[in-house]
Amino acid sequence: MVSARRNPNQIKEGSIVVDIILYAIAFIICLITLYPFYFVIIMSISSPQEVAAMNVFWYPKGFNLSSYELIIRDAKMWWAYSNTLIYVSVGTLLNCLMAVLGAYPLTVRNLKGRKWVVAYLLIPMYFGGGLIPSYLLVNKLGLYNTMFAVIIPGMVSIWNIILVRTFFTTIPDGLKESAFIDGASHLQLLFKIIIPISKPILAVIAIYSIVGIWNSWFDALVYLPNEKLHPLQMYLYRVVVQQSVDLKMLSLDDAKNAVATMLSNIQLKYAIIVFTTLPVIFTYPFFQKYFIKGALLGSLKE
Amino acid sequence: MKAISQPGKRRSFHLRDHVQLYLIMLPVLVHLFIFSYIPMYGIVIAFQDYYPGKPFLSFTDANWVGLKHFINFFNGPYFGRLMRNTFLLSFYFLVFGFWVPIVFSLLLNELKHGVFKKFVQTASYLPHFISNVVVAGMVLSFINVDGIMNVIIQMFGGTPIALNTEPAYFPAIYTITSIWKSFGWSSILYLAAMSSVDPNLYEAAKMDGANRFKQMLHISLPSIRPTIFILLIFAIGSLLSANSEFILLIYNPMVYETADVIGTYLYRDGLLGGNFSMGTAVGLFISLINFTLLYVANSLSRKYSDYALW
Repeated sequence: MVSARRNPNQIKEGSIVVDIILYAIAFIICLITLYPFYFVIIMSISSPQEVAAMNVFWYPKGFNLSSYELIIRDAKMWWAYSNTLIYVSVGTLLNCLMAVLGAYPLTVRNLKGRKWVVAYLLIPMYFGGGLIPSYLLVNKLGLYNTMFAVIIPGMVSIWNIILVRTFFTTIPDGLKESAFIDGASHLQLLFKIIIPISKPILAVIAIYSIVGIWNSWFDALVYLPNEKLHPLQMYLYRVVVQQSVDLKMLSLDDAKNAVATMLSNIQLKYAIIVFTTLPVIFTYPFFQKYFIKGALLGSLKE
Repeated sequence: MKAISQPGKRRSFHLRDHVQLYLIMLPVLVHLFIFSYIPMYGIVIAFQDYYPGKPFLSFTDANWVGLKHFINFFNGPYFGRLMRNTFLLSFYFLVFGFWVPIVFSLLLNELKHGVFKKFVQTASYLPHFISNVVVAGMVLSFINVDGIMNVIIQMFGGTPIALNTEPAYFPAIYTITSIWKSFGWSSILYLAAMSSVDPNLYEAAKMDGANRFKQMLHISLPSIRPTIFILLIFAIGSLLSANSEFILLIYNPMVYETADVIGTYLYRDGLLGGNFSMGTAVGLFISLINFTLLYVANSLSRKYSDYALW
């Protein structure tokens, strides 16, 4: 009866082998997740000869930033970058504004017809017209091939309205009552009192919206034939997926330069990927808590 | 009777309040009407022969053709292939991918709190935030004939394979990439559910002599059962909605045999090809199926377990 006499805690503490296995698995998972990014980064900064020979696996071989030099001289990329900044800033602002405007009235319990409004908001979450009717609509409204085509249709998110509404309901009624006693209107109450104390939830939806717009490309593919209006992701799409942009022809002068340094297409592609994704990779760990908060808040509603 | 509200008493509600509140909501209501409800109405073109310039909002001028576009699609050469691919790609993702975040979250739950655990978590969420275009660009370059996958295959003595043009490999490439991109982020809900378990439960189990594996099996796993069910319902409900936005990025005409799904076909043939009525019909057909699937999964789940979406 050895096992019966053993201290139960020992079973838990004694499993050092199990611990080692668990940590090893976790480490391997980390490797699988991060290695592709790491590979892309070290390929982009290695010397062109080593890249062409596919000799780079664990650390950069040689050190060469000429692919980056070439990219940052590409006017089209900067153009796309600035377009994305416009889409992200305007889109995020509108997203937050619409979420607040949609959420506040729903928190007023004795609003007449509230049930109908809620149904009106929820139906589009489950049913939609689909790609083609939306496309025809955007065309009919004259938004096709304008920046508005990718900003306006996406500016209301029911999801965000639900998140903000949930937060608003936690605000004590006393705060609202005292504002009304001071003679405030609903709009004044919303903008002077409620919004300033709702920064935590606004931060969550702003960050979701920033990443969502930064990463979106399909709307631009459908609605923006004009390359001048393309966001960064569409530029990337043209370069790394469609391969319709010949990287070595970025500009005439640089073409000679590129051939001279034997830059391979793959290295330029990787450099572009790194250059356009770095802002996300570097900022995301800081915003991670907001994302998690959003994911958990959203799940409560289900 | 006067409108002056008294402290402590709920302020009486006036017509003016309603007007104000509805005015505040007005932009949202109008936006939804235009960009959600009008396209819903636009579905009527699925039953017409619509071409641009035609007033599809009018009931009198439109050429009504009934179910012609649906029947054409069902009898068309691609129907079987599209349905099969759409189903299989989601099905593979469900079978091979659904359990990954569950196991991963159980694993994380066993790690001690600290820098390493945080790092693993942060790393696993990262792919979720990388754009589809970037992931597609990376995958395409990896599976290229002279890409790293083939270099690895050659290191193990194999011969290079045309991974990007051989239809047989597409489902695996799609499934692995999708799992890689989503498993970490999907584990969040499970981890949250597990973190709300009372630590005393584990203590009590230890007292009863349960080892770590048994604790995991009898405490951690049951704690996430509701979450598993809910997410399973969603997954079954979306069995015919493969991620066409991502497929669009990584497929090419050579692999249509296994890669072309309803969503990509709809984009290519309906939108680019200008077959607006047919495309709308296909879209309507697939969303009806998806809704039915979700409904059935939900009903089954409610019948055989206590978990349901509604």
